[in-house]
Amino acid sequence: MEKILQHFHKTQKPMSRRAALRAAACGFGFLGLADLLAAVDNPLAPRAPHFPPKAKRVIFLFMHGGPSSIDTFDPKPRLYRDHGKPLPIKRPLAFADEPAGPLMKPLWEFKQYGQSGIPVSSLFPHTATCVDDMCIIRSMVGEGVDHGAALLQTFTGSSTFVRPSMGSWVVYGLGTENQNLPGFITIKPALSHGGAKNWSSAFLPGAYQGTAIGHAGLKVDDVKGEPIEYLLQKTLSADEQRYELDMLRNINQRHAEMRKHDPQLEARIQTFELAFRMQMEAPEAFQVEQQESEATKKLYGLDDPVTRDFGWQCLLARRLAERGVRYIQCTHSYKWDQHSDLYEKHTENAAEVDKPIAGLLKDLKSRGMLKDTLVIWAGEFGRTPVSQGGNGRDHNPYGYTIWMAGGGVKPGFIYGATDDIGYHAVEDRMHIHDFHATVLYLLGLDHERLTYRYSGRDFRLTDVAGVVAKKIIA
Amino acid sequence: MHPLVPLTIAALLTSASLVAQQNQEQAEFFEKKVRPVLVKNCQGCHNAKVKTAGLDLSTAEGFARGGGTGPLINTDDPHKSLLLRVVSYEGQLKMPPTGKIAEEELKALTAWVEAGAVWPGAAAVASAKGPEKSQRQVGEEEKKFWSFQPVKKPALPTVKDESWVKTPVDRFILAKLEEKGLKPAPPASKVALLRRVTYDLTGLPPTPEEIRAFLNDKSPNAYEKVVERLLASPRYGEKWGRHWLDVARYADSTGNDEDHRYPYAWRYRDYVIEAFNKDLPYDQFIREQIAGDLMPSPTPGEPNRRGIIATGFLALGAKALAQQDKKKMLYDVYDEQLDVMSKGVMGLTLACARCHDHKFDPFFTKDYYSLISIFASTRSFRDPESHVSKLLFTPLVKKEEYERYEKYQAKIEQKNLEIEIITDEEIEKRMSSQYPRLADYMVASRRVHDGKDAAAVAAEDKLDLEILKKWVKYLDPGDESRVHLQEWQKAAPDALARTAKAYQERFEKTRAEWTAEVLKWRAEFRKSLKDGSAAPAKPKFEGSKDRFFEEVYFNGPFGVARRERDKILAGAAKEAVEKLRAEIAQMKAAAPPEPDMACAVQEGEPVAQKVFIRGDYNSLGEDAPKGVPLILAKGSPELQTKGSGRLELAQWLTRPDHPLTSRVMVNRIWFWHFGEGIVRTPDNFGKMGDRPSHPELLDYLASEFVDKGWSIKHMHRMILLSNAYQMSTAISDEAMELDPENRLFSRFPRRRLTVEEIRDGLLAIDGSLDLTMGGTLQQGFGTDSENSEARLSLRPETNRRRMVYLPLRRANLPTLLNLFDFGDATTASGRRAHTTVAPQALFMMNSDFVTERSRNLSSLLLKETDSSSRVRSLYLRILNREPEAAEIDNALSYISGFQSKFGGKRTEADAWFSLSRVLIASNEFIYLD
Repeated sequence: MEKILQHFHKTQKPMSRRAALRAAACGFGFLGLADLLAAVDNPLAPRAPHFPPKAKRVIFLFMHGGPSSIDTFDPKPRLYRDHGKPLPIKRPLAFADEPAGPLMKPLWEFKQYGQSGIPVSSLFPHTATCVDDMCIIRSMVGEGVDHGAALLQTFTGSSTFVRPSMGSWVVYGLGTENQNLPGFITIKPALSHGGAKNWSSAFLPGAYQGTAIGHAGLKVDDVKGEPIEYLLQKTLSADEQRYELDMLRNINQRHAEMRKHDPQLEARIQTFELAFRMQMEAPEAFQVEQQESEATKKLYGLDDPVTRDFGWQCLLARRLAERGVRYIQCTHSYKWDQHSDLYEKHTENAAEVDKPIAGLLKDLKSRGMLKDTLVIWAGEFGRTPVSQGGNGRDHNPYGYTIWMAGGGVKPGFIYGATDDIGYHAVEDRMHIHDFHATVLYLLGLDHERLTYRYSGRDFRLTDVAGVVAKKIIA
Repeated sequence: MHPLVPLTIAALLTSASLVAQQNQEQAEFFEKKVRPVLVKNCQGCHNAKVKTAGLDLSTAEGFARGGGTGPLINTDDPHKSLLLRVVSYEGQLKMPPTGKIAEEELKALTAWVEAGAVWPGAAAVASAKGPEKSQRQVGEEEKKFWSFQPVKKPALPTVKDESWVKTPVDRFILAKLEEKGLKPAPPASKVALLRRVTYDLTGLPPTPEEIRAFLNDKSPNAYEKVVERLLASPRYGEKWGRHWLDVARYADSTGNDEDHRYPYAWRYRDYVIEAFNKDLPYDQFIREQIAGDLMPSPTPGEPNRRGIIATGFLALGAKALAQQDKKKMLYDVYDEQLDVMSKGVMGLTLACARCHDHKFDPFFTKDYYSLISIFASTRSFRDPESHVSKLLFTPLVKKEEYERYEKYQAKIEQKNLEIEIITDEEIEKRMSSQYPRLADYMVASRRVHDGKDAAAVAAEDKLDLEILKKWVKYLDPGDESRVHLQEWQKAAPDALARTAKAYQERFEKTRAEWTAEVLKWRAEFRKSLKDGSAAPAKPKFEGSKDRFFEEVYFNGPFGVARRERDKILAGAAKEAVEKLRAEIAQMKAAAPPEPDMACAVQEGEPVAQKVFIRGDYNSLGEDAPKGVPLILAKGSPELQTKGSGRLELAQWLTRPDHPLTSRVMVNRIWFWHFGEGIVRTPDNFGKMGDRPSHPELLDYLASEFVDKGWSIKHMHRMILLSNAYQMSTAISDEAMELDPENRLFSRFPRRRLTVEEIRDGLLAIDGSLDLTMGGTLQQGFGTDSENSEARLSLRPETNRRRMVYLPLRRANLPTLLNLFDFGDATTASGRRAHTTVAPQALFMMNSDFVTERSRNLSSLLLKETDSSSRVRSLYLRILNREPEAAEIDNALSYISGFQSKFGGKRTEADAWFSLSRVLIASNEFIYLD
């Protein structure tokens, strides 16, 4: 090795800026990391927002399948009264083939919680204790009555076309704070209903693509071994790999020396240094069970088989958030689609996520992270007030509830309303475009200025629509 | 309120004073009840200044005119007025967007509209004209836009340095360089050129033998011979076919929502590869892809197999099959087809004119819907109205032959059902003694769960041991909470027997119902077998009725697993099943072969299309007869056709004088050779696209293309044999200053290998590439359950075929493809992105794929005894050149260093393995000079 270095030192010309950068990467330490990143035009380097942000990062808790709003966060007294009566309005486009069933009352009791007195059903007893930190949005509106369209719109703004996902836009706009981890991570995402299109960068550069940690079909134990593809070196020791990478760098340097004016060669040399650090430092973030205290694990329900999966996801999300990952998504796999067995399945589903969600909110708060972490809880739509087959509910994108917490939203606040049966949003309607505009706003981004020129047109997350819901900003 | 008579007519029938009085009342009503509603809810956006959606609700004139969606008032039927539809939240369009207006406000507006919607001080709205028609016309400037002008073959420019000119291409390049006072880059070295042209034409590296042969060939046409060899190689079609597949946004499934497979997409892919290998004239290639099914068959009486397959170009786009607004879904599909056709063939973003006239180019919504009319008259679905729309597959055999096949298959299916029935009956017979003991099994399971020995419990209670074991497993709490078992799980010890009994009663009740349904079906089915009528559909148990029953009866403790079913057969039943099996085997042997099928489009019912105002199919505008965009039409834009118009569209696209088709394709060919185009936006030749750096060269190539029978290989020769192509990638300081972006092609642009070149190239380097051509690796039909790994694409890392043959599940492309900028296989794309990110480095450092390649290489190297020749061999294979003496020294000291540092646990093979990976990961491997 010494011999090689000598050889290269002999052939080395006076040190150019590029050479200095390379030297820095070798560990000579002329320049700080930030300079290094700026110098190689790193697409993930942190960037200033358009205006001072309320939130620095996002944790999106996605309830795949569509939890029922009227059974969880949007009580409708009329449904108890008119239980069994026919739907009093014309049914909008439905997913179900069969005619609409009668109105069906919520299957769970509602109770008021906290200082704010926000009602939550008995499905979410743990989350209910956090209502004073939550901002309930009862007037969401989407366009897709089928899962595929609804997921795509929730995550990309378009129910039809392939567009960059919200996480990709956010990282495109803001970069990310930790270069040893991806900026946009989605934990155990769904392979169905658009699959990777829901975390893809589409026409944005591939660097903004979400990194999937396993997928919804896998168990936590299948995932945690190698959470990110190619992250682990399985045969060489760190010394051996360093020796190999030094040789690679030297060969690449010689190659670059003979080819002037080509910054891409330099950029690629740097990616190996970045990758090496990533490989050394990233695995630590995923050591959820090894590194967290018993109390914390309990808080998230890791000690209970029922809550372990989603608890692990939530706790991992907090660890990633702590380490500067910009946008994190957890997915409760496609379980919420109760066209039948509403009572049984919603009970099971809520039991799996309730404690982990409350754990996450409380943990973030006690660590002082809730104030600049925007937590979003949402399905792709809600469910109809009319029954399907007597014990289920169909899809309802016309008026459904999501909630947010932290990250500059009003705590203990209810925004918008549906009609008295919970079918249509009628007050302060928040279309998915408005939701996106609002999330970007909280992150300090103007959705009308966050554009990307592609195929002769400037594209936005919000297409040609989107109004920021200023009323929910704290 | 007032009668539902339009006021203009009412005025004729009543006296003047009455009219005046009415007017007065109406004016008051308007000012008190209506105007405040408009001010509060509407005028924020719809005022004279802002006019969102072209609508001004602050003045009588604006109100009368309406907005982009049409007139607000329906005078024939006021209840159907757009205004009321919108504010009552009944239609697709809902206003105001912040929430429905109050009930009283809605009542007031309704009453006002019913009474004729009189805006005081203005003529009655009832007489209002419709919306303003698009007043836009093609401007004189727009007509002169460069890409719409006819292609003219330019004179060849004169140049100072005639000696540099090898093909006419060089004149155009050199003339511009000389104009700038720049010299072209020196010629590339022979090895660099061989590596460049081999990857370029085949996507694979040159072999050590090919390198040696070329270096030893001192004849003046040595390079020409290489070009001819490569163009004749089947590998050429695999590489260049893949370029076209990018344009055709090719994938093997529908992508959106359900991600259903296109089971026969591969035939289109193979067609494309063959078209390139055979140098199918490009005009014919395009005509076939748009309307091949309508072109005469080469074998009379047989379907036009190749033509049908070629229309996969239109059929294989992303589709949202579960979209419930079926009309929207269909028009999204037509839009997608129009988009791939217009971007792919003409370099135009016509799909932008769906909701409004094109913002930048002179294309109008009418142009758009005239083209849409063609696709709307074309079928892509067998049954679009089905809950999950069903795709259309086209048999590639005669109709009668296909029907024969279908009937035969149905018969085999009936035999299978017979077997199923016999087996079910056996299971029921066998279990009938067990069903009444359900409660006993539950209670016994609890004892086993609590620690008793299963065999002992079974003996004691006279239960079947195997079934008991299944019960124990089934009732184990596990890590899923099952609500239907909670009653049992929570039952107190003294309530166990009672609870179990309750479960048993419910079970028996459901079983009785289910059995009745099944018996009825079996009787009907057997009757149909006898009289040859259509077999009734088999009933399916609705799980939500009784989860416990479903789980226990079918697959659980009282059921029989799929693979165990045969084992329970005995005696007569066994004989009967065996007989049926033999019959099936016989029938299958004698069955007509499965006809070849294609994912293709077919002619549909011709549609009389109208413009959809703002893209909304509920708002119909003017007629849009089948036709081509006005600005590109010579004379009338209308296509005379009795069918869909696809054939006429295909002919129009490939007219020799079409200004775009030839230009766009020669630019693509140039782009794929150089990694940059003469026009740098290969899919956009419109106003927002790039302007050609060498317009004369582009036109020269385009006219040459058409003159030489649209031969793509002819274009390759013109470009590859030019000096421009053979320049080195060296950038002089002058070139850096005067031509920093290489718009003048003052040197050959260095480029990164594509993901296919990286992956196929590495497999070729260690000798593991499987060069089998064609066919499909995709299995199955339809889609898979939501979280199944079958939803993933095959992994390119573990397969050995060329990447172009790996089926792509559009919703879940392989991560390797995403990592190296493959694109999304959803929109036509003639240009891939190039990112350089750390995860790509991780792939080189840590992936099993690169590890395996390096291992294989080191095994190959160890067969040679001399260390220097090992290094030579490695350089030749990976970097496709001989190493310099200093490089051999470095490599050898790396090997010895590795051994001395890590010798304790590492072998010599490990050292060579490590060196192999270093070269694979090197910039020199991944960048093409």
